[in-house]
Amino acid sequence: MPNAIVATNLTKTYDVKVRDPGIKGALAALVRPRYRQVRAVDSVSFAIERGDAVAFLGPNGAGKTTTLKMLTGLLFPSAGRAEVAEHDPWTGGNPFRRRIAFVLGNKQQLLWDLPAEESFRLNRAIYGVSLADYTTRRAELVELLVLGELIDKPVRQLSLGERMKCELAAALLHQPEVLFLDEPTLGLDLDAQQTIRTFLGEYRRRHGATILLTSHYMADVTALASRVLIINRGRLLHDGELSELVTRIAPIKRIELVLSEPVPRARLEEYGTVAHYAPPRATLEVPRETATAASTRLLTDLAVADLSIQDPPIEEVIRIAFGETEQDAGAEAEAPRADVRRAPP
Amino acid sequence: MAARSRVATLRDQYAELLRSAFLVDLQYRASIAIWLVWGITEPIISFAIWWSIAAGGAVDGYTRDGFARYFFGVALVNQATLSWDAWNIDRWIREGEMNHRLTRPIAPIHEAIADNIAYKGPTAAIILAVWVVASIFWPAVRIPFEPGRWALGIVAIGLAAAIRFFNGYATGLLAFWTTRATALVELQFGISLFLSGRIAPLSLLPPRVVHVAQYLWFPYVLSFPVEILTGAVTTWQQYARGYAGQLVWLAIWLLLYLLVWTRGRRHYGAVGG
Repeated sequence: MPNAIVATNLTKTYDVKVRDPGIKGALAALVRPRYRQVRAVDSVSFAIERGDAVAFLGPNGAGKTTTLKMLTGLLFPSAGRAEVAEHDPWTGGNPFRRRIAFVLGNKQQLLWDLPAEESFRLNRAIYGVSLADYTTRRAELVELLVLGELIDKPVRQLSLGERMKCELAAALLHQPEVLFLDEPTLGLDLDAQQTIRTFLGEYRRRHGATILLTSHYMADVTALASRVLIINRGRLLHDGELSELVTRIAPIKRIELVLSEPVPRARLEEYGTVAHYAPPRATLEVPRETATAASTRLLTDLAVADLSIQDPPIEEVIRIAFGETEQDAGAEAEAPRADVRRAPP
Repeated sequence: MAARSRVATLRDQYAELLRSAFLVDLQYRASIAIWLVWGITEPIISFAIWWSIAAGGAVDGYTRDGFARYFFGVALVNQATLSWDAWNIDRWIREGEMNHRLTRPIAPIHEAIADNIAYKGPTAAIILAVWVVASIFWPAVRIPFEPGRWALGIVAIGLAAAIRFFNGYATGLLAFWTTRATALVELQFGISLFLSGRIAPLSLLPPRVVHVAQYLWFPYVLSFPVEILTGAVTTWQQYARGYAGQLVWLAIWLLLYLLVWTRGRRHYGAVGG
């Protein structure tokens, strides 16, 4: 399967003005501005096959949105290159733009004062979609996103979840091959999040669209993407299956127990680390490879009413993964990546 | 895409851009009515002042009736050519609204052009209608029935609107670099009060001011079209000078727009929003 997105050593460096505090600092910055070079994205490489859905994870300021902006042609890389839908995003022009969509959860693109239908009409013309295609696609999106009467109400009267559904419909009328979603479920209630996830999964299945999404909600990731890219401080920390990450970062399993008779905490510690102890419930963490054996022993030795073996919560895995990069960065403090310099004369 | 289908696509895009811009304006009809009143307040005040000054007789050839015609012309031409684009573009860039516009297969300027047409067409038509009704009851404000002159006036108004549009749009694009782009527009607004003929016909200003003005774009975006309509432009030399000035300044602002757009886009690509 050919690649829909290829990033090769993608790097983005910004000059950030450095100013000392106080009036003296402000005046000094006016006379002799100093700049600090910040590497927002540092030599990031990955490839995404056509039709794949990949989640891009990282804490705030990690470089996710900057990478998406480079892949959509809004920013050009300081070094490295990218290819999206067989185009260089920066030079691809309108033929490139017709093949992608970029949805930002925190920025609305619909015409605020008019019903979403008007934005649909406008996008049809802007993307040069034929009337026949428009009619079919609009009907499909209205059905999949259960838009119903929403599209006749002015956008400003819609709830956040309703608006995001309309945003997605407007962004997909030209049937883009590659879909960039920046926090598409941001601020939505659980129902709306679920609707969006289900829709995106179904849309990808039907049309073979490639999706690269950023999200802070792990449920988005587990529902939509089997593969994750983890970025922190501009560096790619992990690229692979979600399950691989769990195995690598947290090589443990959690055994959730409900005890039918009281068992002292010390007794449970013979089987693994007690992560949580609130009789009759307890949670043990055991090495992944011994989880089955430990469970069998627990069932044989103790009065267990219920037992289940689970992976650690994905949020925790990601948190540990981010923590690793913080430590890496700390270790590299001797060789700073940010370099303060004077402005060129 | 073949040239013909590109033209067809652009036509289709404009039809929808105009439609949505017009529908949005309809939502803001009360605000638009207030802006319209605000827009004609300035020529009314200037007219009132010149009306009382001219009580004792003509001022440099301008009678009270002459001032009435002139300021009706100012109100109409100003409404048909004004440009608020600098504020819009500045907001698009500073608040991140430019991003989605840059990922669409149409340059953002087309949306701004459609917004201008959708807003100025109907509002200028209202002022024109008021002028027509007023001239039924107030013969002084009637302008000579010369369809040829009106056609030339319409061309001059179109060119003036284009100059002011590219001027405002290019200035707004400076927001790619600075957060104070709109301050430059405010400065121009102040200068244009005198040099474009907004508070007085140019011929009433000191000769040195008029001399300076003729090297700038200000007289060509207001005074020249107004004077065509009121009949003050008579010789073919005056027409030629006026249109030549308009074309030169249109070319200059168009080039400045292209320069600021390509450089600004590159700068934005380098540093982000």
